[in-house]
Amino acid sequence: MISRGIKLVAGSIFLITFAGNILGQDLNGFDIMKLVDDAQRASNDSSFNRMQLSSCKFGVTDGRITCAERPRVKSLESVAKNYGPELMDTKSVTITIEPAAERGVGMLSFAYDETGRDNETWLYLSALGRVKRIASGDSDEETEPASLFGSEFTTEDTETGKLEEYTINILEETTTAGRDVWKIEMIPNEERARKTRYSRQVHYIDKERYVGLRSEMYDQYGKEVKRLMASRVELVNDIWMARSLTMMNLVTNRLSNMAFVEIYTDLDIQDEFLTQRTLTDAAYRETELENLRAQLN
Amino acid sequence: MSRFCKRAGLILIFVTPIALSQQEEEPNLGGEDLLSDEIIFDDNLFGNIFDESPNNNEESWLEGFTVRVSQQFYGQVNNHSVEPLPGFSFPRKAEMENNRLGLNIRYQNAFAPGWLLQASGQARAYWNEDYEYRANGGKIDAEYRVNEFFLQRSFEQNSFKFGRQTVVWGETVGNSVLDVINHIEFRDMTIIDIEDARLNQWMVVWDYFGEDSNWSSFINLYPEFNPAPVRGSPFFFEPQFNLTDYKRDGDAIFEVGTQWRKSFDLSDISFMAAYLYENQLRYEDPINNIGDALAKKNDFILLGFSANRAIGRLLLNFDLAFSHNVLADNFNLPGISSLASPLDLEKDQIGTSFGFEWAPDNDQSLSLGIQAQKVLDEDKGLLPGQQLVNEGVFGSWLVRYSNIFLNNDLTLASTLQGDLEGDSLLAMLSVNYTIDDNWTVEAQVISINSNSNSPLIFFDEDLRIGTTISYSF
Repeated sequence: MISRGIKLVAGSIFLITFAGNILGQDLNGFDIMKLVDDAQRASNDSSFNRMQLSSCKFGVTDGRITCAERPRVKSLESVAKNYGPELMDTKSVTITIEPAAERGVGMLSFAYDETGRDNETWLYLSALGRVKRIASGDSDEETEPASLFGSEFTTEDTETGKLEEYTINILEETTTAGRDVWKIEMIPNEERARKTRYSRQVHYIDKERYVGLRSEMYDQYGKEVKRLMASRVELVNDIWMARSLTMMNLVTNRLSNMAFVEIYTDLDIQDEFLTQRTLTDAAYRETELENLRAQLN
Repeated sequence: MSRFCKRAGLILIFVTPIALSQQEEEPNLGGEDLLSDEIIFDDNLFGNIFDESPNNNEESWLEGFTVRVSQQFYGQVNNHSVEPLPGFSFPRKAEMENNRLGLNIRYQNAFAPGWLLQASGQARAYWNEDYEYRANGGKIDAEYRVNEFFLQRSFEQNSFKFGRQTVVWGETVGNSVLDVINHIEFRDMTIIDIEDARLNQWMVVWDYFGEDSNWSSFINLYPEFNPAPVRGSPFFFEPQFNLTDYKRDGDAIFEVGTQWRKSFDLSDISFMAAYLYENQLRYEDPINNIGDALAKKNDFILLGFSANRAIGRLLLNFDLAFSHNVLADNFNLPGISSLASPLDLEKDQIGTSFGFEWAPDNDQSLSLGIQAQKVLDEDKGLLPGQQLVNEGVFGSWLVRYSNIFLNNDLTLASTLQGDLEGDSLLAMLSVNYTIDDNWTVEAQVISINSNSNSPLIFFDEDLRIGTTISYSF
């Protein structure tokens, strides 16, 4: 759970961009989602972000979605870099800033794309007094999707790849949030169906900016159980990205908002930063984070 | 018992308004179609975080503080009697043991490139019916101490830390034979995990981060020893002579050690060597039986190896320790030392701890740790009729299980631990509930069973219930 979670924090869901001029009209659903997947992976590369994950029970008041309780807030800083011949593996470090009870908790994760190869995760808790390896298994294990840091996002919502395990169709070209979009349906095959909680997903992809603006997830009875909404689509380092993602759980009436308060890509990140030293050596970590910020100025 | 229940009831009264306050703002859900495209979602719902400066380098130094305030109630609730020796028994009545307010403060500030200051401390106020209150003559008592306090300087491949800190060796969870660098204090039954019992010492630690492996070395210029049980605590029994700390009398004593660590694909290994003092002092009768017991320290050499190996969601742990010249007649339990007929023999000892951690799914984890030690050449140097405190293979086992629910808000955890001989069993069940980002409440039940071969016989059939409510910011 942890390692795949970190993989998400390092990037984001549906931070979609298409490099170059691609004639969308010539693409089928699989092609589009493959490009989406590749773009998501690319957006992880050499990135630094500060993220706030807010969750609450929600309702509707005067036509607006509102929180029915004081939101729970987690603040995280994450650095990630892709490795391997095709940049398919990801090393990432995530440090918890808030809430206070979890401040300083650090995780280092190596996520491997190779089927069957176990990911590696190390955890640092100040109470533990040392870095500790966590056995996290590989990304393909048939485990139940887990909540990401206690939010309504799950590890399943964060996965990249696996597109060949879906039947993907373009349903229509329509509009959402005032933008022209492709409405794309993804239905899992028999093997994938055993691992997923969704019998069907529908994604709305911005045709001009190539950003996912909305997703709907349906259960085995065809009922919509979760809805993802993207907003704050901004051009960051020549990449269109959604800086605010909100997952609404329509069964429990809880929602989580993932806000990328700071997000930078294509940074010069030293390999040494993505080692266990970053977990234990806070003086080194803070200095290197300042160096990363300095690259932006 | 009834007073204890009243205190526990107070906790519920304390917590309930928090829970209720969260329901007061329930919006009207009736008649609104959440799936409607007409419903407006505004991501400013969670504040104007996007309007903040993205590159705020002028953070206040106050932001380095983390504070936790907690109130704890704890008590032994089983009225019974204990018979440590045939024909000798004493009653164990239900009573409150802990009624205390705690304040924990931690501070971390990377105040300049490559520099970091970190400190933590705690203060406790002991209220009516707390054992420290009773030991203080029925008056409210208070205590504070500094835990961590170090300055760190990191440059190139090196990091130096000067000040109070801990050094943890070994892989096995909870009972590693290599986790002997820092002294410990199991003051009462609310502290049963070594992670909570470990105390900081004044050290210089040098870490060298190489390309393929790391070195970590330390020197401790002021070794400290496990403190004697605090008067009034459940572990305190009136000794024949007062147990005091080691009298240094100007002795310049030190500890030094180094560890080499390397990570492989799915595995980490370490080798270590150290010159240490045993954390547990041995107490001898005073000369002419007048005055305080004499505290005796003992230095020894430790050589160790540790390794782990991840296999899917299973992590195997292994530690090996060879100790040269440890005192043969020191008890292996913290806070307890032999007073009678000290043998004053130094012997070599070999020990291992091993176990596994397994996460069958994303919410559950199970760990097992077994520690086993043996004194080498047991009989060598013994006079006829003399006997070692620990003969043959001795040690302990520890099982921990946890399961999380409600999006990580609720954690159920249990711990079982006992000795290898099967003479004692400690069982703990805890429930931890995170109310919101600031408030947490925890409840614990601990039971102990022992026969007369274990020092835990004095706590046989004890049943403790406790609760702690904490506010962090």
